[in-house]
Amino acid sequence: MSTFEVDLHLSLPGKASNGQSAAPRARRLVATAVVVALAPLLLLLFWWLSAARGWVSPQVLPQPAWVWQTFVDLVVSGDIIAAAAISFRRIAEGFLLGATSGFLFGLLIGTSRSADAYLGPTFRALAAIPSLGWLPILILILGIEETLKIVILAKACFVPMAISTADGARNIPAKLSDVADVLGIRRSTRFFRLTIPAMAPFLASGIRLSLSQAFVSLIVVEMLAGSDGLGYLMVWGRTLFQLDIVIVGMIVVGTVGFLLDLLLRRMEKAIVRGASAHG
Amino acid sequence: MNASANALFVEHVSKSYPLDGLDRLVLKDINFSVGHNEILGIVGASGCGKSTLLRLIVGLDTEYRGSITRSNAGDPGKRVGMVFQDHRLYPWLTVEANVGLALDTSPLSARQKHEKIGHYLHLVGLSDFAKAYPRQLSGGMAQRAAIARALAQEPDILLMDEPFGALDSILRMRLQDELLAIWERNQVSIVIVTHDVEEALYLGDRVIVMEPNPGRIRDIVTVDLPRPRDRASLDIADLKKRCLSMLM
Repeated sequence: MSTFEVDLHLSLPGKASNGQSAAPRARRLVATAVVVALAPLLLLLFWWLSAARGWVSPQVLPQPAWVWQTFVDLVVSGDIIAAAAISFRRIAEGFLLGATSGFLFGLLIGTSRSADAYLGPTFRALAAIPSLGWLPILILILGIEETLKIVILAKACFVPMAISTADGARNIPAKLSDVADVLGIRRSTRFFRLTIPAMAPFLASGIRLSLSQAFVSLIVVEMLAGSDGLGYLMVWGRTLFQLDIVIVGMIVVGTVGFLLDLLLRRMEKAIVRGASAHG
Repeated sequence: MNASANALFVEHVSKSYPLDGLDRLVLKDINFSVGHNEILGIVGASGCGKSTLLRLIVGLDTEYRGSITRSNAGDPGKRVGMVFQDHRLYPWLTVEANVGLALDTSPLSARQKHEKIGHYLHLVGLSDFAKAYPRQLSGGMAQRAAIARALAQEPDILLMDEPFGALDSILRMRLQDELLAIWERNQVSIVIVTHDVEEALYLGDRVIVMEPNPGRIRDIVTVDLPRPRDRASLDIADLKKRCLSMLM
């Protein structure tokens, strides 16, 4: 037994360094998929059991089969696509506005000590208020139309982006800044060749945090003050006591959120690797 | 050496850092000049302010008493170059792009810049590594790239802060010879800070011996020996003994 273990340990590095890593990689991918899918499958099984055994009334928890049928209907009718399109457009607009201004603000308080002294505390205090805490007063000022949603989303993106950018700006290696000073390079060169590459890992995580914040706020703001979009679809389903629609909405939002996060994590990794390696 | 032959004057320079509410003097009344095309070595125990002195000369730190003047200060094309102990190449740029940073403000065309980068990479023996990233280079190669970057801005004064300190002794000797070869082909004054007395005596026309607490000049030793010098010669050994007796 012990010799077998030793053998295994010895063979592992050899395998990894050789070119024959395709088969183990495929196996590892399958293993990962099984691990990831296990919890949802168990949940699905539990859901199906509770519906089939009548543990919960079907008005509150419809059967998986109904929900699937509703999903297919909503896709065929185009309702869910239309709702998703509206929601994603809001995210895109809010993100563009919020992340861009967050980046600029973060750069300001990250590079200028006096700007940080004047604006930093106020920013941190306001940032501590969750997006939804702003909702009552913003509804009074902006109404419940599109502007409100975009502003809430922009705010949700602004805060993590500004914090990450400021952290990144403060973490530009002083030794590399010295080189820029000695060589006397232009401000623009300094920005694109030093500041941005040195900040890349921070920017990537800022973007990821912003988008996930935007996603959370979007659904809530559409539920509280909306007449379209994925969040509204779910509220509408609940009003009609069509919980199948609500569950479809939850699953779509969860899946999209998961995929978005996965994609951004990948991007972040690629950027970080790029920055540390070549850039 | 008459005054007009000097590239750099350091006069009555003192520098102190605030420490625990008190001003701690790190450099006390430093006076010396560097001639055109002279190699000046600076040796001293750690903490004698050698690196601080270079930071003052290059302009990274502007808070000091006294005056530091360059004879070419009015000529914007003439700058002070600096090589640090660690190579400080930008990890996300190729060797070529790193050297290219030195030509950022140069009015040359892109092609001329490319040629100039090629020239300096050739000078330090890195022509084949123009497209490599710093992480792909060995320590000695990275340091050579840093030297190429400093030379590419064509400074009239090149400051070197223990440039070979992190390298093994064989490589250090090779790079010292390469540095002398480059110096002979370029019009440049070199101020080289080192903790290696032999390195300072092998390279320098004069060697400043500093002592710590506060950092000040103990003596300036003239190395009146023709190049190429023999590291094992009696003259070097005598001068080394003299310097070491002041340092210990």
